[in-house]
Amino acid sequence: MIKPILYAALPLLLAVGAASASAADTIKIGVPVPLSGPYAAAGTDILNAAKLAADDINASGGVLGKKIDIMAEDDGCDAQMGVQAAQKMIDGGVAVVAGGYCSGAGLPELIALHRAGVPFILDAQTNPKLTSMGFNNVFRTIGRDDEQGPFAAKFMSGYLHAKKVAVINDNTVYSKGLADNTVSALKKDGVDVVYDDSVTPGQMDYSAVLSHVASLDPQVIDYTGYFAEAGLMAKEAAALHLKPQLMGGDATQDPTLIKTAGAAANGWICTTAPLPQFLTGAKQFVTDFTKKYGTAPGPYSPYEYDAIEIAAKAVKDAGSTDPSKVIASLHTIKDYKGLTGNITFNSAGDRTVAVYITVIVKDQAFAPYVKLNAAGQWVPVQ
Amino acid sequence: MSEFIQLVIAGLTTGSFYALVALGYTMVYGIVRLINFAHGDIFMVGAFLGWTVLTTLAATHMPWGIGLLIALILSMILTGGLGVAVERFAYQPLLSAPPLSILITALGVSLALENGVLLIFGPGFNTYPQLIGSAGFVLGGAHITFIQVGIIILSFLLMAGLYLFVHHTFIGTAMRALAVDRDAARLMGINVERVIQITFFLGSSLAAVAGVMEGLYYTEINFFMGFIVGLRAFTAAVLGGIGNIPGAMAGGLLIGLLEAFSAGYISSRWTDVIVFLVLIGTLVVKPTGLFGERVVERM
Repeated sequence: MIKPILYAALPLLLAVGAASASAADTIKIGVPVPLSGPYAAAGTDILNAAKLAADDINASGGVLGKKIDIMAEDDGCDAQMGVQAAQKMIDGGVAVVAGGYCSGAGLPELIALHRAGVPFILDAQTNPKLTSMGFNNVFRTIGRDDEQGPFAAKFMSGYLHAKKVAVINDNTVYSKGLADNTVSALKKDGVDVVYDDSVTPGQMDYSAVLSHVASLDPQVIDYTGYFAEAGLMAKEAAALHLKPQLMGGDATQDPTLIKTAGAAANGWICTTAPLPQFLTGAKQFVTDFTKKYGTAPGPYSPYEYDAIEIAAKAVKDAGSTDPSKVIASLHTIKDYKGLTGNITFNSAGDRTVAVYITVIVKDQAFAPYVKLNAAGQWVPVQ
Repeated sequence: MSEFIQLVIAGLTTGSFYALVALGYTMVYGIVRLINFAHGDIFMVGAFLGWTVLTTLAATHMPWGIGLLIALILSMILTGGLGVAVERFAYQPLLSAPPLSILITALGVSLALENGVLLIFGPGFNTYPQLIGSAGFVLGGAHITFIQVGIIILSFLLMAGLYLFVHHTFIGTAMRALAVDRDAARLMGINVERVIQITFFLGSSLAAVAGVMEGLYYTEINFFMGFIVGLRAFTAAVLGGIGNIPGAMAGGLLIGLLEAFSAGYISSRWTDVIVFLVLIGTLVVKPTGLFGERVVERM
């Protein structure tokens, strides 16, 4: 396997070498995102946010007297393509890599970048493993999958004052992981988990499970799977006249839930990393993005915008584009005021305060609901 | 007690869908000895055709009851036609070929239908308009909706109608004759090709009814929805005795009830294990299925 990769990389090395000589007066920031395949649309939303951030920085004079140059590479959401993308960016002489979409491609990219000593700021890859390998070059502007569970648990016990909770998952990696994290946090909070079991996705009829769960008398039913089944559950629970509050994780936040359940979707609550339209600091960003690209920003666009801004700030603070100095300066980022809130990285590179909010379905549309403020109180999301 | 009634209603509702789809499997098997693996996808196409008609009619502000009736009938006719077309182009040339060839063809048709719908309607979920709310009544502490009752009654009427059709009409008699011996039936002057086409038409339009009802009841449909229903319905047909019409009905309802009880009283995870254990247990004791009789007595 080594030989073909070498042969494939050879012409690239030559091309990149020729290009970098003429571009020494810019600061290169690498953005590896899927630009082909099924996730191309999500990748484009992220890349556009990176370009917007670079334009904003360049319009106000750039960094260290140089312009920011976004170097986009297609990683196709694929591990192998990710390694090649990372290698191209390293050879292209990037100061920082900031971006990405899939954890599956992000992991090999991170390993390649770690070997080359280049910092990597993640904007959408939520798998806990990326920041648990002891690497000093990784940072993340979004929360981790294992932070959402405790947040959901805190919401149920602290805001909904639930004493008894039922947690249902769909046995996929994401859903089971979120359910396990939620259940253990609930137990820690002294909440009685009366039901913790999985259902088969695609089965359509969950009324048997729901009527059994209802007989256990929980105050909240938390479904950690995806929106299609969540919509059916909301609809079937309404037909059964169930009393418990229904809620789900970020994968239930999709318009299909409302289309499926109709009026029965009203009152469904999701825990989620805030979408751009629910971020108070991102109003201008949403306007600018929509004006420039003709579509609303994607869910991860503001996280990528923050990642690019932080990358630029770190280069400025370091006074150099030397990746090792940029890493050191990224570790000193403290209370950076980004679109997605205050950003401080812990020693692993994760945000010290992961941002999660809840949204609720009101009049058959998702509306911001409540979040935890810095003092640990539940306040409405504006 | 209220939970028990609730589970029975849930089981009968899903069981009705399985039974209607199982009839198509069993009728086709009874007559041409073909396990029509594309039948679950015919059900899915029925749901999509109904959706297309309904959403088109929604723009004309027609009373929804009439729109629904038109959607149901159009979907039945078109899906029935699709069933006949599949038989004419994919199965008929292979009727005298080895059974394996036609089985593989059926799988091919299944993939073609799934991917065709995927290309036309996209990979996401399409949703039926919210025509029928969750209005209903309370019986013994259990909440029962009118649409559940409607689904159960309509399926029973269709199943009874099919039974009467097969046993009391000329074509029905011809179908049973084919089930016994195709060549002998041909010698008696029966137009075998025509009877096979009618069988496919009936089976497919019953699946279309199930598809439209599923769309109305659960609202969301997608190109892959025929897989699970098809699998369960096929199991129902085998459990009841494949080739036997009352067997398919009983098998469908039994599987619906088994699913509901295992999800309600044991765990949703064990549903498939329990359903297939019952299937294996039944086949060990009675290899022809619950209602299956000697080969001569099919249909």
